[in-house]
Amino acid sequence: MSPTQCAQFERILEEQPDGPLTVDAAAHMKGCADCRLLWSDMEAIRTVAMEWGGQEVEPPEYLWSALRRQLESEGLIRGSIRESSQGSWLSAWFGAAPRWALAGASISLLLIAAMLAGYQKNEPNAAAQIPMRLSISVARPKLVAADLGKALDGDLKQVFDSLPEGNTVLTSSLRENLGIVDNLIAVCEQSVREQPDDPMARDYLYGAYEQKAVLLATAMDRSALEGR
Amino acid sequence: MARTRPTEIRELGEAEAIRRAQQGDAEAFERLYRLHNRRVYALCLRMLGNTAEAEDLTQEAFLQLFRKIGTFRGESAFSTWLHRLAVNVVLMRLRKKTLAATSLEEVTEPDEDVGGPRKDIGGPDLRLSGSVDRVNLERAVEQLPPGYRSVFVLHDVQGYEHNEIATIMNCSIGNSKSQLHKARMRLRELLQEFARDRAREERQAAKGSSGGSH
Repeated sequence: MSPTQCAQFERILEEQPDGPLTVDAAAHMKGCADCRLLWSDMEAIRTVAMEWGGQEVEPPEYLWSALRRQLESEGLIRGSIRESSQGSWLSAWFGAAPRWALAGASISLLLIAAMLAGYQKNEPNAAAQIPMRLSISVARPKLVAADLGKALDGDLKQVFDSLPEGNTVLTSSLRENLGIVDNLIAVCEQSVREQPDDPMARDYLYGAYEQKAVLLATAMDRSALEGR
Repeated sequence: MARTRPTEIRELGEAEAIRRAQQGDAEAFERLYRLHNRRVYALCLRMLGNTAEAEDLTQEAFLQLFRKIGTFRGESAFSTWLHRLAVNVVLMRLRKKTLAATSLEEVTEPDEDVGGPRKDIGGPDLRLSGSVDRVNLERAVEQLPPGYRSVFVLHDVQGYEHNEIATIMNCSIGNSKSQLHKARMRLRELLQEFARDRAREERQAAKGSSGGSH
């Protein structure tokens, strides 16, 4: 077969790399082993490339985290516009809440756990025997935030009155952790003031009050144990 | 770090996500990212052949996209816009890398044939059919000049049409077809070289083992 025809065949391939071949080119290929080989090699490359492309590749999850951090640092992300949705509020809250507030919540829970651990170590069976002395209710739908706050303030006085005078460690620890939880409450109250119709904001405020209530209740139980 | 809510994110349509991302909505950014991240990452990975670089450039492509999203007016498809950005960041990287090793002409050549050995019509050819596999193809693609590599990966691997490639790479459809053909021709040569090298190694190994047996 003449090189001119083979060159023409290649030019046709360049113009229509995926076919279809013209009648002339097809006729040429039929009689030319080199061009048949060229065509079949192109087909083989295409086939393997297609198989390669069919394989799913998943970028690692940390890529989005890194990208998001970058977007946040550049101020491109400004939170969610669906502020009334619970999730978006949650995201915004976690993004905006000062670290100390989150730390406060964690620390208070740790304190409670530590108090309970110490308490149970001393009195393994006492938990069931000691009645809850606080009249705190955290039945969220029935109480409004202000009422709950006032109730807690009343209980706070009761708790401090009941603390053993000599136990300065318990008193100062309670004051310190109450300060942290109060800060958390202040953040949540501000969120409720800013978004009064957001149920998630109210939920978080009640949650913060609940933490305070549990902290006070635990302190009272601890003081009751020590007072025995 | 905000929590991800996959269900809600999936529900958001692309047009709505674009509109909200233009207002700085975090969920919308994530939605757009999750809609396109696989394809962009695959493109970067296949063009670069390196996971760390592919991650780096995927992030860079999305970052550029999100920085400019306020200017998107919807005249072109969002995905085309994104993939053009992705191809550009990859090409920039490839050019930086390749400049150190090769001439600028080889990196950017739009129409000229690559400098490698041209098919010698009538010469001894190795039939690729049945012998070309993905590993060798990947190796060969890594050796393609960036321009050829882009068109080949976009068309034959990623499945783009020539009109899409023309938009992404800012060239004509004819140019895209021509580049694809030349890329395949160069790949054929490279794959033939690999096959010859393999055959030579096998012969040497056979010779060595038969020599060792005496």
